[in-house]
Amino acid sequence: MVSRAFSPSFGGGESIDLADDDRSSLIELYLDRRTDLVRFFTVRLRSPAAAEDLVQDIYVKLAGLETTAEIQNPMAYLYRLGSNLMLDRLRGERRTANRDGAWLDSQTTRVGGHEVSAEPSAEAAVAARQRLARLTEALNALSPQTQRVFRMHKFEGLSHPEVAAKLGISRSAVEKHMMAALKHLSAKLP
Amino acid sequence: MKKTDDTFDDVRVAEDAARWFAKLQGESATAADWLAFERWLQSAPLHAKAYERLEGLWIDLEYSPIAKDLGGRPLVAARRRARSARRVSLNRRAWLGGGAVLAASVGAAIGLGVWTSGGVAQTYETHAGQIRDVALADGTHIRLNASSKIVVRLGRDARRVQVADAEAVFDVAHDAKRPFLITVADRQIRVVGTEFNLRHRADLLDLTVRRGVVEVRSAATLDAAPTRVAVGQELIHTAGQSASLLKVSDPDQIFAWTNGQLIYRDQSLSDVAADLSRRFATPVRAADAKTAAMHFTGVLVTDNEMEVLRRLEAYAPVRVERTSNEIILHHR
Repeated sequence: MVSRAFSPSFGGGESIDLADDDRSSLIELYLDRRTDLVRFFTVRLRSPAAAEDLVQDIYVKLAGLETTAEIQNPMAYLYRLGSNLMLDRLRGERRTANRDGAWLDSQTTRVGGHEVSAEPSAEAAVAARQRLARLTEALNALSPQTQRVFRMHKFEGLSHPEVAAKLGISRSAVEKHMMAALKHLSAKLP
Repeated sequence: MKKTDDTFDDVRVAEDAARWFAKLQGESATAADWLAFERWLQSAPLHAKAYERLEGLWIDLEYSPIAKDLGGRPLVAARRRARSARRVSLNRRAWLGGGAVLAASVGAAIGLGVWTSGGVAQTYETHAGQIRDVALADGTHIRLNASSKIVVRLGRDARRVQVADAEAVFDVAHDAKRPFLITVADRQIRVVGTEFNLRHRADLLDLTVRRGVVEVRSAATLDAAPTRVAVGQELIHTAGQSASLLKVSDPDQIFAWTNGQLIYRDQSLSDVAADLSRRFATPVRAADAKTAAMHFTGVLVTDNEMEVLRRLEAYAPVRVERTSNEIILHHR
Protein backbone atom coordinates (compact mmCIF):
# COMPACT_ATOMS: atom_id res chain seq x y z
CA MET A 1 0.00 0.00 0.00
CA VAL A 2 1.45 3.35 -0.98
CA SER A 3 2.28 5.38 2.09
CA ARG A 4 -0.02 8.33 2.64
CA ALA A 5 2.60 10.36 4.43
CA PHE A 6 2.49 13.12 1.83
CA SER A 7 -0.25 15.68 1.73
CA PRO A 8 -2.47 15.66 -1.35
CA SER A 9 -1.69 17.93 -4.29
CA PHE A 10 -4.80 20.01 -3.96
CA GLY A 11 -5.44 21.66 -0.64
CA GLY A 12 -8.03 24.17 0.36
CA GLY A 13 -10.67 21.88 1.86
CA GLU A 14 -11.31 19.85 -1.30
CA SER A 15 -12.91 16.47 -1.09
CA ILE A 16 -10.28 14.36 -2.75
CA ASP A 17 -10.95 10.93 -4.14
CA LEU A 18 -8.64 8.01 -3.53
CA ALA A 19 -6.99 8.01 -6.94
CA ASP A 20 -5.88 11.65 -6.59
CA ASP A 21 -4.35 11.00 -3.20
CA ASP A 22 -2.33 7.95 -4.27
CA ARG A 23 -1.26 9.54 -7.49
CA SER A 24 -0.12 12.70 -5.75
CA SER A 25 1.93 10.63 -3.28
CA LEU A 26 3.67 9.01 -6.22
CA ILE A 27 4.26 12.39 -7.81
CA GLU A 28 5.72 13.70 -4.56
CA LEU A 29 8.06 10.73 -4.49
CA TYR A 30 8.98 11.32 -8.11
CA LEU A 31 9.85 14.95 -7.41
CA ASP A 32 11.81 14.01 -4.35
CA ARG A 33 13.93 11.37 -6.08
CA ARG A 34 14.01 12.77 -9.57
CA THR A 35 17.79 13.23 -9.37
CA ASP A 36 18.27 9.54 -8.61
CA LEU A 37 16.12 8.60 -11.57
CA VAL A 38 18.01 10.92 -13.92
CA ARG A 39 21.33 9.55 -12.72
CA PHE A 40 20.23 5.95 -13.21
CA PHE A 41 18.89 6.52 -16.70
CA THR A 42 21.97 8.52 -17.65
CA VAL A 43 23.93 5.34 -16.92
CA ARG A 44 21.50 3.27 -19.01
CA LEU A 45 21.12 5.68 -21.91
CA ARG A 46 24.65 7.16 -21.78
CA SER A 47 23.23 10.60 -22.36
CA PRO A 48 22.07 13.11 -19.75
CA ALA A 49 19.74 14.75 -22.25
CA ALA A 50 18.07 11.47 -23.17
CA ALA A 51 17.76 10.62 -19.48
CA GLU A 52 16.05 13.96 -18.76
CA ASP A 53 13.67 13.26 -21.61
CA LEU A 54 12.82 9.85 -20.29
CA VAL A 55 12.40 10.92 -16.68
CA GLN A 56 10.02 13.60 -17.93
CA ASP A 57 8.04 10.92 -19.75
CA ILE A 58 7.76 9.05 -16.45
CA TYR A 59 6.07 12.09 -15.02
CA VAL A 60 3.66 12.22 -17.92
CA LYS A 61 2.76 8.59 -17.30
CA LEU A 62 2.24 9.29 -13.61
CA ALA A 63 -0.02 12.21 -14.31
CA GLY A 64 -2.18 9.96 -16.43
CA LEU A 65 -2.51 7.06 -14.01
CA GLU A 66 -6.00 6.03 -13.06
CA THR A 67 -5.26 4.09 -9.92
CA THR A 68 -2.11 3.24 -8.03
CA ALA A 69 -3.54 1.30 -5.12
CA GLU A 70 -1.65 -1.93 -5.89
CA ILE A 71 1.90 -0.62 -5.77
CA GLN A 72 4.04 -2.30 -3.13
CA ASN A 73 7.34 -0.52 -3.72
CA PRO A 74 6.63 2.92 -5.13
CA MET A 75 10.25 3.86 -5.87
CA ALA A 76 10.91 0.57 -7.63
CA TYR A 77 7.70 1.19 -9.55
CA LEU A 78 9.12 4.47 -10.87
CA TYR A 79 12.31 2.76 -12.00
CA ARG A 80 10.29 0.02 -13.66
CA LEU A 81 8.06 2.57 -15.40
CA GLY A 82 11.16 4.22 -16.84
CA SER A 83 12.69 0.90 -17.88
CA ASN A 84 9.52 -0.07 -19.69
CA LEU A 85 9.54 3.27 -21.47
CA MET A 86 13.08 2.50 -22.56
CA LEU A 87 11.95 -0.85 -23.92
CA ASP A 88 9.10 0.85 -25.75
CA ARG A 89 11.57 3.13 -27.45
CA LEU A 90 13.66 0.20 -28.46
CA ARG A 91 10.60 -1.49 -29.89
CA GLY A 92 9.79 1.62 -31.87
CA GLU A 93 13.26 1.79 -33.30
CA ARG A 94 13.15 -1.85 -34.32
CA ARG A 95 9.75 -1.53 -35.93
CA THR A 96 11.07 1.31 -38.04
CA ALA A 97 14.04 -0.80 -39.02
CA ASN A 98 12.00 -3.89 -39.83
CA ARG A 99 9.39 -2.22 -41.96
CA ASP A 100 8.37 -4.71 -44.64
CA GLY A 101 9.46 -3.93 -48.14
CA ALA A 102 11.15 -0.72 -47.11
CA TRP A 103 14.55 -0.08 -48.55
CA LEU A 104 16.40 2.25 -46.24
CA ASP A 105 19.88 3.68 -46.43
CA SER A 106 22.44 1.79 -44.49
CA GLN A 107 22.32 3.49 -41.15
CA THR A 108 22.80 2.46 -37.61
CA THR A 109 20.85 4.23 -34.93
CA ARG A 110 21.53 3.95 -31.25
CA VAL A 111 19.08 3.74 -28.43
CA GLY A 112 21.15 3.88 -25.28
CA GLY A 113 23.80 1.26 -25.95
CA HIS A 114 21.66 -0.70 -28.36
CA GLU A 115 22.64 -0.73 -31.96
CA VAL A 116 19.64 -0.95 -34.21
CA SER A 117 20.47 -1.52 -37.82
CA ALA A 118 18.12 0.13 -40.28
CA GLU A 119 19.18 -1.87 -43.30
CA PRO A 120 16.97 -4.81 -44.14
CA SER A 121 19.23 -6.38 -46.73
CA ALA A 122 18.51 -9.86 -48.01
CA GLU A 123 21.18 -11.35 -45.78
CA ALA A 124 19.82 -9.55 -42.78
CA ALA A 125 16.30 -10.86 -43.44
CA VAL A 126 17.53 -14.43 -43.63
CA ALA A 127 19.63 -14.02 -40.53
CA ALA A 128 16.64 -12.58 -38.68
CA ARG A 129 14.46 -15.53 -39.66
CA GLN A 130 17.12 -17.96 -38.55
CA ARG A 131 17.51 -16.18 -35.26
CA LEU A 132 13.79 -16.31 -34.65
CA ALA A 133 13.77 -20.02 -35.43
CA ARG A 134 16.57 -20.61 -32.93
CA LEU A 135 14.69 -18.59 -30.33
CA THR A 136 11.55 -20.64 -30.78
CA GLU A 137 13.56 -23.85 -30.66
CA ALA A 138 15.26 -22.73 -27.47
CA LEU A 139 11.90 -21.86 -25.92
CA ASN A 140 10.53 -25.27 -26.72
CA ALA A 141 13.55 -26.88 -25.11
CA LEU A 142 12.76 -25.40 -21.70
CA SER A 143 11.34 -27.60 -18.98
CA PRO A 144 7.51 -27.69 -19.01
CA GLN A 145 7.00 -25.59 -15.87
CA THR A 146 9.60 -23.01 -16.94
CA GLN A 147 7.99 -22.82 -20.35
CA ARG A 148 4.59 -22.34 -18.74
CA VAL A 149 5.85 -19.52 -16.53
CA PHE A 150 7.67 -17.88 -19.42
CA ARG A 151 4.72 -17.98 -21.78
CA MET A 152 2.33 -16.63 -19.18
CA HIS A 153 4.60 -13.76 -18.21
CA LYS A 154 6.09 -12.86 -21.56
CA PHE A 155 3.36 -13.72 -24.03
CA GLU A 156 0.18 -13.47 -22.01
CA GLY A 157 1.36 -10.37 -20.21
CA LEU A 158 0.70 -11.58 -16.68
CA SER A 159 2.71 -10.04 -13.88
CA HIS A 160 4.88 -12.18 -11.59
CA PRO A 161 2.29 -12.24 -8.79
CA GLU A 162 -0.43 -13.10 -11.32
CA VAL A 163 1.58 -16.01 -12.69
CA ALA A 164 2.35 -17.17 -9.14
CA ALA A 165 -1.32 -17.11 -8.23
CA LYS A 166 -2.42 -18.94 -11.35
CA LEU A 167 0.14 -21.72 -11.00
CA GLY A 168 -0.02 -21.93 -7.22
CA ILE A 169 3.70 -21.23 -6.78
CA SER A 170 5.66 -18.54 -4.96
CA ARG A 171 6.78 -15.27 -6.54
CA SER A 172 10.41 -16.20 -6.04
CA ALA A 173 9.76 -19.44 -7.90
CA VAL A 174 8.40 -17.40 -10.81
CA GLU A 175 11.51 -15.25 -10.68
CA LYS A 176 13.76 -18.31 -10.69
CA HIS A 177 11.96 -19.80 -13.68
CA MET A 178 12.24 -16.53 -15.61
CA MET A 179 15.92 -16.31 -14.80
CA ALA A 180 16.50 -19.89 -15.92
CA ALA A 181 14.61 -19.25 -19.16
CA LEU A 182 16.58 -16.10 -19.93
CA LYS A 183 19.88 -17.79 -19.12
CA HIS A 184 19.04 -20.61 -21.48
CA LEU A 185 17.85 -18.33 -24.26
CA SER A 186 20.87 -16.04 -24.13
CA ALA A 187 23.20 -19.03 -24.13
CA LYS A 188 21.51 -20.42 -27.27
CA LEU A 189 21.76 -17.14 -29.16
CA PRO A 190 25.21 -15.59 -29.50
CA MET B 1 24.17 -27.15 -24.42
CA LYS B 2 25.92 -25.54 -27.34
CA LYS B 3 29.65 -25.23 -26.93
CA THR B 4 30.84 -21.69 -27.37
CA ASP B 5 34.08 -19.81 -27.14
CA ASP B 6 32.75 -17.81 -24.25
CA THR B 7 35.02 -17.48 -21.34
CA PHE B 8 33.74 -18.42 -17.95
CA ASP B 9 33.38 -14.69 -17.24
CA ASP B 10 31.07 -14.06 -20.20
CA VAL B 11 28.79 -16.88 -19.14
CA ARG B 12 28.74 -15.67 -15.56
CA VAL B 13 27.99 -12.09 -16.63
CA ALA B 14 25.16 -13.32 -18.87
CA GLU B 15 23.74 -15.24 -15.90
CA ASP B 16 23.98 -12.18 -13.69
CA ALA B 17 22.21 -10.13 -16.33
CA ALA B 18 19.43 -12.73 -16.46
CA ARG B 19 19.15 -12.69 -12.69
CA TRP B 20 18.87 -8.89 -12.62
CA PHE B 21 16.37 -8.82 -15.45
CA ALA B 22 14.11 -11.36 -13.79
CA LYS B 23 14.43 -9.77 -10.37
CA LEU B 24 13.66 -6.24 -11.50
CA GLN B 25 10.54 -7.33 -13.34
CA GLY B 26 9.11 -8.83 -10.20
CA GLU B 27 7.01 -6.65 -8.00
CA SER B 28 8.98 -7.40 -4.85
CA ALA B 29 12.05 -5.54 -6.13
CA THR B 30 12.97 -2.59 -3.91
CA ALA B 31 14.66 0.75 -4.49
CA ALA B 32 17.80 -0.76 -2.94
CA ASP B 33 17.74 -3.48 -5.60
CA TRP B 34 17.67 -0.86 -8.32
CA LEU B 35 20.59 0.99 -6.77
CA ALA B 36 22.54 -2.25 -6.55
CA PHE B 37 21.70 -2.86 -10.21
CA GLU B 38 22.99 0.61 -11.07
CA ARG B 39 26.26 -0.20 -9.33
CA TRP B 40 26.52 -3.53 -11.14
CA LEU B 41 25.96 -1.81 -14.50
CA GLN B 42 28.70 0.69 -13.78
CA SER B 43 31.24 -1.77 -12.41
CA ALA B 44 32.21 -3.10 -15.86
CA PRO B 45 31.27 -2.17 -19.45
CA LEU B 46 30.65 -5.85 -20.11
CA HIS B 47 27.77 -5.79 -17.64
CA ALA B 48 25.86 -3.08 -19.47
CA LYS B 49 26.49 -4.81 -22.79
CA ALA B 50 25.22 -8.13 -21.49
CA TYR B 51 22.08 -6.49 -20.12
CA GLU B 52 21.41 -4.68 -23.38
CA ARG B 53 21.83 -7.93 -25.27
CA LEU B 54 19.20 -9.48 -23.04
CA GLU B 55 16.80 -6.59 -23.61
CA GLY B 56 17.30 -7.05 -27.36
CA LEU B 57 16.47 -10.69 -27.01
CA TRP B 58 13.38 -9.89 -24.95
CA ILE B 59 12.06 -7.73 -27.76
CA ASP B 60 13.07 -10.16 -30.51
CA LEU B 61 10.84 -12.70 -28.81
CA GLU B 62 7.87 -10.55 -29.60
CA TYR B 63 8.35 -11.38 -33.26
CA SER B 64 8.38 -15.11 -32.70
CA PRO B 65 5.47 -17.21 -33.98
CA ILE B 66 4.46 -17.98 -30.40
CA ALA B 67 3.79 -14.34 -29.70
CA LYS B 68 1.84 -14.06 -32.91
CA ASP B 69 -0.30 -17.04 -32.02
CA LEU B 70 -1.72 -15.11 -29.12
CA GLY B 71 -3.69 -12.40 -30.83
CA GLY B 72 -2.04 -12.14 -34.21
CA ARG B 73 0.21 -9.18 -33.49
CA PRO B 74 3.24 -8.99 -31.26
CA LEU B 75 2.94 -6.74 -28.23
CA VAL B 76 -0.83 -7.11 -27.96
CA ALA B 77 -0.33 -9.33 -24.91
CA ALA B 78 2.26 -7.05 -23.39
CA ARG B 79 0.02 -4.02 -23.82
CA ARG B 80 -2.72 -5.65 -21.81
CA ARG B 81 -0.62 -4.96 -18.76
CA ALA B 82 -0.49 -1.24 -19.36
CA ARG B 83 -2.55 0.38 -16.65
CA SER B 84 -2.77 4.03 -17.49
CA ALA B 85 -6.16 4.55 -19.02
CA ARG B 86 -6.22 8.30 -19.25
CA ARG B 87 -4.21 9.54 -22.14
CA VAL B 88 -2.26 12.72 -21.71
CA SER B 89 -1.36 13.73 -25.20
CA LEU B 90 1.47 16.16 -25.49
CA ASN B 91 3.23 18.02 -28.18
CA ARG B 92 6.06 15.53 -28.73
CA ARG B 93 8.43 18.18 -30.00
CA ALA B 94 8.23 19.98 -26.73
CA TRP B 95 10.03 17.20 -24.90
CA LEU B 96 13.04 17.17 -27.15
CA GLY B 97 15.89 18.95 -25.50
CA GLY B 98 13.70 20.43 -22.80
CA GLY B 99 14.44 24.01 -23.69
CA ALA B 100 13.14 23.83 -27.25
CA VAL B 101 11.37 27.14 -27.18
CA LEU B 102 13.79 29.58 -25.66
CA ALA B 103 14.05 32.97 -27.13
CA ALA B 104 17.74 32.72 -26.42
CA SER B 105 20.12 35.16 -27.85
CA VAL B 106 23.71 35.60 -26.83
CA GLY B 107 23.97 39.03 -25.28
CA ALA B 108 26.62 41.47 -26.30
CA ALA B 109 29.87 41.43 -24.45
CA ILE B 110 30.84 44.60 -22.64
CA GLY B 111 30.13 47.60 -24.85
CA LEU B 112 32.69 49.83 -26.41
CA GLY B 113 33.75 52.64 -24.17
CA VAL B 114 36.48 53.99 -22.06
CA TRP B 115 37.94 51.37 -19.84
CA THR B 116 37.69 53.04 -16.43
CA SER B 117 38.45 51.25 -13.19
CA GLY B 118 34.75 51.02 -12.62
CA GLY B 119 33.99 49.67 -16.02
CA VAL B 120 31.21 50.57 -18.42
CA ALA B 121 27.68 49.89 -17.24
CA GLN B 122 25.85 47.44 -19.46
CA THR B 123 22.15 46.77 -18.98
CA TYR B 124 20.64 43.40 -19.83
CA GLU B 125 16.91 43.14 -19.90
CA THR B 126 14.21 40.69 -20.93
CA HIS B 127 10.49 41.17 -21.42
CA ALA B 128 7.71 38.73 -20.58
CA GLY B 129 8.16 35.49 -22.46
CA GLN B 130 11.80 36.05 -23.26
CA ILE B 131 14.75 34.09 -21.90
CA ARG B 132 18.17 35.41 -22.79
CA ASP B 133 21.72 34.09 -22.56
CA VAL B 134 24.45 36.61 -21.84
CA ALA B 135 28.19 36.00 -22.16
CA LEU B 136 30.35 38.51 -20.30
CA ALA B 137 33.86 39.44 -21.35
CA ASP B 138 35.35 37.70 -18.31
CA GLY B 139 33.84 34.36 -19.32
CA THR B 140 30.90 34.55 -16.94
CA HIS B 141 27.68 33.20 -18.36
CA ILE B 142 24.29 34.50 -17.27
CA ARG B 143 20.93 33.08 -18.26
CA LEU B 144 18.24 35.67 -17.70
CA ASN B 145 14.70 34.54 -17.10
CA ALA B 146 11.71 36.45 -18.44
CA SER B 147 10.82 39.94 -17.18
CA SER B 148 14.25 40.56 -15.72
CA LYS B 149 16.72 43.40 -15.59
CA ILE B 150 20.31 43.56 -14.42
CA VAL B 151 23.15 46.06 -14.85
CA VAL B 152 26.71 44.79 -15.18
CA ARG B 153 29.99 46.67 -14.67
CA LEU B 154 33.23 44.78 -15.20
CA GLY B 155 35.92 46.91 -13.58
CA ARG B 156 39.63 46.48 -12.99
CA ASP B 157 39.39 45.48 -9.35
CA ALA B 158 35.93 44.04 -9.17
CA ARG B 159 33.08 42.79 -11.32
CA ARG B 160 29.77 44.30 -10.24
CA VAL B 161 26.15 43.55 -10.95
CA GLN B 162 23.08 45.45 -9.85
CA VAL B 163 19.96 43.31 -9.74
CA ALA B 164 16.50 44.85 -10.00
CA ASP B 165 13.43 42.65 -10.48
CA ALA B 166 15.00 39.55 -12.00
CA GLU B 167 15.78 35.90 -12.00
CA ALA B 168 18.96 34.51 -13.47
CA VAL B 169 21.39 31.66 -13.32
CA PHE B 170 24.92 32.90 -12.87
CA ASP B 171 27.86 30.77 -13.92
CA VAL B 172 30.68 32.97 -12.74
CA ALA B 173 34.13 32.57 -14.23
CA HIS B 174 36.85 32.18 -11.68
CA ASP B 175 38.91 35.31 -11.14
CA ALA B 176 40.44 35.65 -7.70
CA LYS B 177 41.76 39.14 -8.47
CA ARG B 178 38.32 40.43 -9.33
CA PRO B 179 35.54 39.34 -6.98
CA PHE B 180 32.10 39.15 -8.51
CA LEU B 181 29.83 41.38 -6.42
CA ILE B 182 26.07 41.47 -6.85
CA THR B 183 23.92 44.08 -5.14
CA VAL B 184 20.33 43.05 -4.54
CA ALA B 185 18.22 45.54 -2.55
CA ASP B 186 19.89 45.63 0.87
CA ARG B 187 22.17 42.68 0.27
CA GLN B 188 25.53 42.20 -1.39
CA ILE B 189 26.52 38.82 -2.76
CA ARG B 190 30.15 37.95 -3.22
CA VAL B 191 31.30 35.19 -5.51
CA VAL B 192 34.73 34.01 -6.60
CA GLY B 193 33.86 31.32 -9.11
CA THR B 194 30.62 29.45 -8.85
CA GLU B 195 27.17 28.64 -10.28
CA PHE B 196 23.91 29.67 -8.66
CA ASN B 197 20.34 30.76 -9.32
CA LEU B 198 19.42 34.21 -8.12
CA ARG B 199 15.81 35.30 -7.94
CA HIS B 200 14.67 38.73 -6.84
CA ARG B 201 10.95 39.36 -7.12
CA ALA B 202 9.00 41.95 -5.12
CA ASP B 203 11.13 42.23 -1.97
CA LEU B 204 12.19 38.65 -1.83
CA LEU B 205 15.71 37.45 -2.58
CA ASP B 206 16.05 33.74 -3.22
CA LEU B 207 19.49 32.32 -3.94
CA THR B 208 20.32 28.67 -4.63
CA VAL B 209 23.86 27.42 -5.16
CA ARG B 210 24.67 24.62 -7.53
CA ARG B 211 28.47 24.84 -7.54
CA GLY B 212 30.94 26.61 -5.32
CA VAL B 213 30.26 28.91 -2.42
CA VAL B 214 28.59 32.29 -2.28
CA GLU B 215 28.82 34.89 0.48
CA VAL B 216 25.87 37.11 1.32
CA ARG B 217 26.19 40.16 3.56
CA SER B 218 24.29 43.32 4.36
CA ALA B 219 25.09 46.00 1.76
CA ALA B 220 25.15 48.63 4.49
CA THR B 221 27.72 46.92 6.73
CA LEU B 222 30.11 45.26 4.31
CA ASP B 223 32.68 44.28 6.89
CA ALA B 224 30.20 42.34 8.98
CA ALA B 225 30.48 38.55 8.90
CA PRO B 226 28.80 37.14 5.82
CA THR B 227 26.42 34.21 5.48
CA ARG B 228 28.00 31.52 3.35
CA VAL B 229 25.71 29.62 1.03
CA ALA B 230 27.11 26.37 -0.33
CA VAL B 231 26.03 23.65 -2.75
CA GLY B 232 22.54 22.39 -2.10
CA GLN B 233 21.70 25.40 0.03
CA GLU B 234 19.19 28.14 -0.52
CA LEU B 235 19.10 31.56 1.07
CA ILE B 236 15.88 33.53 1.34
CA HIS B 237 15.92 37.13 2.39
CA THR B 238 13.24 39.80 2.61
CA ALA B 239 14.55 43.32 2.06
CA GLY B 240 14.66 45.34 5.24
CA GLN B 241 14.98 42.36 7.55
CA SER B 242 18.21 41.74 9.39
CA ALA B 243 18.08 37.95 9.30
CA SER B 244 17.89 35.56 6.37
CA LEU B 245 16.67 32.02 6.08
CA LEU B 246 19.18 29.40 5.03
CA LYS B 247 17.80 26.03 4.05
CA VAL B 248 18.64 22.82 2.28
CA SER B 249 17.38 22.83 -1.24
CA ASP B 250 17.28 20.93 -4.49
CA PRO B 251 19.13 22.90 -7.17
CA ASP B 252 17.48 20.85 -9.92
CA GLN B 253 14.06 22.09 -8.96
CA ILE B 254 15.20 25.72 -8.81
CA PHE B 255 17.20 25.50 -12.03
CA ALA B 256 14.44 23.71 -13.92
CA TRP B 257 13.35 26.91 -15.65
CA THR B 258 16.60 26.89 -17.62
CA ASN B 259 15.46 23.61 -19.17
CA GLY B 260 12.03 24.95 -20.03
CA GLN B 261 10.42 23.40 -16.99
CA LEU B 262 8.89 24.70 -13.81
CA ILE B 263 8.84 22.34 -10.86
CA TYR B 264 6.42 23.00 -8.04
CA ARG B 265 6.25 21.35 -4.69
CA ASP B 266 3.10 22.26 -2.78
CA GLN B 267 3.17 25.87 -3.87
CA SER B 268 0.26 28.22 -4.23
CA LEU B 269 -1.48 28.68 -7.54
CA SER B 270 -0.80 32.40 -7.29
CA ASP B 271 2.94 31.61 -7.45
CA VAL B 272 2.33 29.46 -10.52
CA ALA B 273 0.28 32.23 -12.10
CA ALA B 274 3.01 34.80 -11.43
CA ASP B 275 5.66 32.57 -13.03
CA LEU B 276 3.48 31.92 -16.07
CA SER B 277 2.79 35.64 -16.43
CA ARG B 278 6.50 36.23 -16.76
CA ARG B 279 7.16 33.24 -18.96
CA PHE B 280 4.48 34.19 -21.48
CA ALA B 281 3.32 37.56 -22.71
CA THR B 282 -0.25 37.25 -21.41
CA PRO B 283 -0.83 38.03 -17.72
CA VAL B 284 -2.18 35.09 -15.74
CA ARG B 285 -3.99 35.44 -12.46
CA ALA B 286 -6.19 33.53 -10.06
CA ALA B 287 -9.86 34.57 -10.11
CA ASP B 288 -10.28 34.80 -6.37
CA ALA B 289 -8.58 34.17 -3.05
CA LYS B 290 -9.79 30.58 -2.90
CA THR B 291 -8.23 29.76 -6.27
CA ALA B 292 -5.06 31.63 -5.40
CA ALA B 293 -4.68 29.61 -2.22
CA MET B 294 -4.92 26.25 -3.99
CA HIS B 295 -1.72 24.26 -3.80
CA PHE B 296 -0.04 22.68 -6.75
CA THR B 297 2.60 19.99 -6.98
CA GLY B 298 3.96 19.02 -10.35
CA VAL B 299 6.16 19.74 -13.32
CA LEU B 300 5.08 22.11 -16.06
CA VAL B 301 6.91 22.06 -19.35
CA THR B 302 6.74 25.64 -20.55
CA ASP B 303 6.97 25.13 -24.28
CA ASN B 304 3.96 27.11 -25.42
CA GLU B 305 1.20 28.94 -23.64
CA MET B 306 -1.74 26.95 -24.95
CA GLU B 307 -0.18 23.62 -24.05
CA VAL B 308 0.85 24.70 -20.58
CA LEU B 309 -2.61 25.92 -19.71
CA ARG B 310 -4.17 22.79 -21.13
CA ARG B 311 -1.87 20.68 -18.95
CA LEU B 312 -2.65 22.79 -15.91
CA GLU B 313 -6.33 22.10 -16.48
CA ALA B 314 -5.55 18.39 -16.75
CA TYR B 315 -3.38 18.23 -13.63
CA ALA B 316 -5.26 20.61 -11.35
CA PRO B 317 -8.94 21.29 -10.63
CA VAL B 318 -8.86 24.65 -12.40
CA ARG B 319 -10.71 26.08 -15.33
CA VAL B 320 -8.91 28.46 -17.67
CA GLU B 321 -10.73 31.54 -18.87
CA ARG B 322 -9.27 33.64 -21.66
CA THR B 323 -10.21 37.27 -22.08
CA SER B 324 -8.81 39.68 -24.65
CA ASN B 325 -5.93 40.74 -22.45
CA GLU B 326 -5.49 38.19 -19.70
CA ILE B 327 -5.90 34.64 -18.52
CA ILE B 328 -7.90 33.88 -15.40
CA LEU B 329 -7.72 30.64 -13.46
CA HIS B 330 -10.92 29.51 -11.79
CA HIS B 331 -11.24 26.94 -9.10
CA ARG B 332 -13.33 24.07 -10.54
